[in-house]
Amino acid sequence: MKISESWLREWVNPPLTRIELSHILTMAGLEVESIGAESSESNDTIDISITPNRGDCLSVKGIAREIAILTNTSFKHPSISSIQPTIKDSIPVRITAKTDCPRYLGRIIRHVKTDTPTPEWLKEKLRCSGIRSIHPIVDITNFIMLELGQPMHAFDLDTIQQEINVRRSQSGECLTLLDGSQKELDGETLIIADSNKPLAIAGVMGGMDSSVTLTTKNIFLESAYFSSKTIARQRQFYDLSSESAYRFERCIDPTIQGDALERATQLILEIVGGEAGPAIEVSNKENLLTECIITLYHENVVSVLGVAISTGDIDNILTALHFQYEKKNNAWVVNVPLYRPDISIPEDLIEEIARLYGYEKIPAHHAIAKLEVNLPGNEQNNHSAFIRQLLVDRGYHEIISYSFVDKPLQLLLNPEETPYELVNPITADMSVMRTNLWPGLVQTLIYNHSRQQDRIRLFEIGTCFQLRNAEILQLSMLAGLITGSAYHEQWGIPSREVDFYDLKGDIESILHLFYREDKYDFRLDKHLACHPGQTAGIYIGDKKIGMIGALHPTVIQTLDLPKNVFIYEIDLLALRKAATLTIHEPPKFPEIRRDIAILIDQTIPAKAIQDTIKSHAGDWLKDVYIFDVYQGKGIAPGLKSMALALILQHSTRTLIDEEVLELMDRVMTVLKEQLGAVLRS
Amino acid sequence: MLSLEEILKQAKSAIETATDLKSLEDCRVHYLGKKAKLTEYLKTLGQLSPEERPIIGQKVNEIKQVIQQLIETRSEILKQKQIDIQLAEESIDITLPGRLFNSGSLHPITHTCHALRDIFTQMGFIFMEGPEIEDDYHNFTALNVPPLHPARAMQDTFYFPNGTLLRSQTSTVQIRAMKTMTLPLRMIAMGRVYRRDFDLTHTPMFHQLECLMIDENVSFADLKGLLIQFLHAFFSPETAVRFRPSYFPFTEPSAEVDITCLNCKGNGCRICKQSGWLEILGCGMVHPNVLLGANIDTKRYRGFAFGVGIDRLTLLKYGIADLRTLFENDLRFLRQF
Repeated sequence: MKISESWLREWVNPPLTRIELSHILTMAGLEVESIGAESSESNDTIDISITPNRGDCLSVKGIAREIAILTNTSFKHPSISSIQPTIKDSIPVRITAKTDCPRYLGRIIRHVKTDTPTPEWLKEKLRCSGIRSIHPIVDITNFIMLELGQPMHAFDLDTIQQEINVRRSQSGECLTLLDGSQKELDGETLIIADSNKPLAIAGVMGGMDSSVTLTTKNIFLESAYFSSKTIARQRQFYDLSSESAYRFERCIDPTIQGDALERATQLILEIVGGEAGPAIEVSNKENLLTECIITLYHENVVSVLGVAISTGDIDNILTALHFQYEKKNNAWVVNVPLYRPDISIPEDLIEEIARLYGYEKIPAHHAIAKLEVNLPGNEQNNHSAFIRQLLVDRGYHEIISYSFVDKPLQLLLNPEETPYELVNPITADMSVMRTNLWPGLVQTLIYNHSRQQDRIRLFEIGTCFQLRNAEILQLSMLAGLITGSAYHEQWGIPSREVDFYDLKGDIESILHLFYREDKYDFRLDKHLACHPGQTAGIYIGDKKIGMIGALHPTVIQTLDLPKNVFIYEIDLLALRKAATLTIHEPPKFPEIRRDIAILIDQTIPAKAIQDTIKSHAGDWLKDVYIFDVYQGKGIAPGLKSMALALILQHSTRTLIDEEVLELMDRVMTVLKEQLGAVLRS
Repeated sequence: MLSLEEILKQAKSAIETATDLKSLEDCRVHYLGKKAKLTEYLKTLGQLSPEERPIIGQKVNEIKQVIQQLIETRSEILKQKQIDIQLAEESIDITLPGRLFNSGSLHPITHTCHALRDIFTQMGFIFMEGPEIEDDYHNFTALNVPPLHPARAMQDTFYFPNGTLLRSQTSTVQIRAMKTMTLPLRMIAMGRVYRRDFDLTHTPMFHQLECLMIDENVSFADLKGLLIQFLHAFFSPETAVRFRPSYFPFTEPSAEVDITCLNCKGNGCRICKQSGWLEILGCGMVHPNVLLGANIDTKRYRGFAFGVGIDRLTLLKYGIADLRTLFENDLRFLRQF
């Protein structure tokens, strides 16, 4: 809340500089944000950030009361006397919605001269609080709101028919508000109405037709207490904001409506003249807030705060706060004043005590707790630290990108998932939740590529969001991409572009953190954003846990990406370390290596060849790997040459040449019969 | 026949002039081999008198040993020469760059998360996670922010058509912890949170760490102690820490915590708006309504909690001015971590 410092000092004037005063307020929970720093306001402005619980401080009176308590200074309340009516005019006030409006005060003032300008002293005070001068009567009601914390409203009396009725609206009623907007009301809005039409949305905003204008002669002044929840609901429902609603939502003092009405009348008569009628008051005492009584135990204060604050100190603090109390043994029975509805339980009082005692005087203490091994919580991503480090070691940069992305980009990169849309996105290109991590990676690629970064390796770990039968799945994913040269250009390494197998190797090293080689495999697969001939599903057993592929040439073209981009994603939670590892002793007998070179149809996958060998070579085969693949000159079209190494070993003896020869013959025969392979001489 | 002295003289000369191991080997064969002159000399011993025989024999042997010694010495020299030549040939330019495979980098926020994890793991806190799309109950109501509560305006929240939302704070995980863990409990949650703000100091997505401890006798003094330890461990033991009263619906009493401005060391500068202090986190004793909502016996247990922006910690630690830099993912920025 922005407020004039000199106005505050009219109410309470401790012998402190503005900086000292600001410090005291800040350290008591009323944080002074800036001291007249902004050029648009005068140096007289203090900007105090008022937390939502301290509705009582949204006025000069409230802040002055707080300063008086904090600085032990006296606090001067202006004398407010009842205005003697000079006319008898009155209007019937009826409260139909009793719980929404426990108290409603009003008064007729006739023959006001609204062409009188607002005095400069008043304008200046409004200006410090960032409120524009509009109309002398509106300015006066705003002044009262700033001074006492009571929002008020002035109606043009001549627009009101017969009565004031505070009631809930009927569905379909219409009202044009002061801001010019037209609202069709729902069936539960608290309104101020006359005998046949709504005049204002109570506590939030007045209507255009009943507002005071420069030609207004007679007014009806309102000073009411509305329920905070009622005002909050309708302020939100109609998406409005006003200084008035702001204060009602945070609870105003239920005892000041009379004071506000008298003080406003007094100022109106002084400034714009007129004849005041008698004050009209309708109250429903049973719906008004009643004083809260709290029993506070000394031991409770000490144990919550962890400091041996004395009963004498607590007595003094409660007295300083003007909280009435009775002492009973080691307890206080406290009557909380009505302007502090934020205090309703002992902990609230304890905070007040700590606040005035001084947080800085509470000692820092080391908590004492049991030494025990915590059973695992849901530390599902605990292993992500290993994966991150592995990828960093392999040259990847970790990125963090926004979880909401551009819808067209998301659909381009994951056409088969319908992304979950936000109701109120911050920008159009952050309007849907990502269904995979690729939009962030691709955007980062574009960003860096356009900044002369050619060799790019990125990964991200984060949540993706997918709709499944109206349920939203929140999936913890790992994804990455590579493009550009395989190595930094270097005199000692032949230069080449990255390919599918570079990325596949990186993924295999991740999988190796969790699984033995025979537990996972890559199967030819489809993804609409990927090249149909260079895409694979990543499988653990028969469970698909991810995808790897080259981005589809049309995606590359659409986004103007570098030519070859290889990308992947893995479901992070599918990666699990085996609970226990089975460890084998190293073999005692020598291993034998035998190589074969074959010519085979180029469409036969390497894995089929390896698998065929594995399933026919028997137990002695420990490993079979491919050490050369060749197509081109010297090899007939449609064929490829492949060289494989077989590692053989017997667990209990040394293998002899004859049996190895026989095994190799058997392998070759199978390759020939099943896959059409020919031994290369 | 040459005298023994003459043979020795010739051998010496031949060994010294041998320029490589091959010619030295020739010398050895020539002077000590089966057909060598000294060997022939020994064959003539039979012609000598029994008195002369041992004397001459001994002399021949002595000369043999001298020559042997000379050859060995020469051989060592020649071998050394040969290695010297090899070494000279094999010298390389060690200033040429190595075949470095450049490592990547962890995101600065991850570095901060790891540092935080280390600090709180040491103190026996366990780590929990919670969903990013939450319901109103976990994000607000269970945290003592019922519908229409003015504190809802403190955070501008993202919503989905069915009324669910993107969590605006990791405090949501507190509620899950209280319902799933047994008491006493000490837990930490880290993760992404979302608010509708976008400027120099706000991004619509950022990261928070949430800390919750519930035990029989925890106090505000314990909370102060824990936070001072944490901030000293994360920044430096010289960092001054200040507690100010504040308001959060889910804590009572509540506090805002400031540290000395890292830029000006508390003297006042543009970054701290001349105050010398930087607001760093919010904390407090868990509000009894929050504990009661999770069916915790408030007569027996109390708790404290705090929440801190991981991104803000990162900016302060590395002296980065613009929060948005963290999510641009410029490689020239990331490579520095």
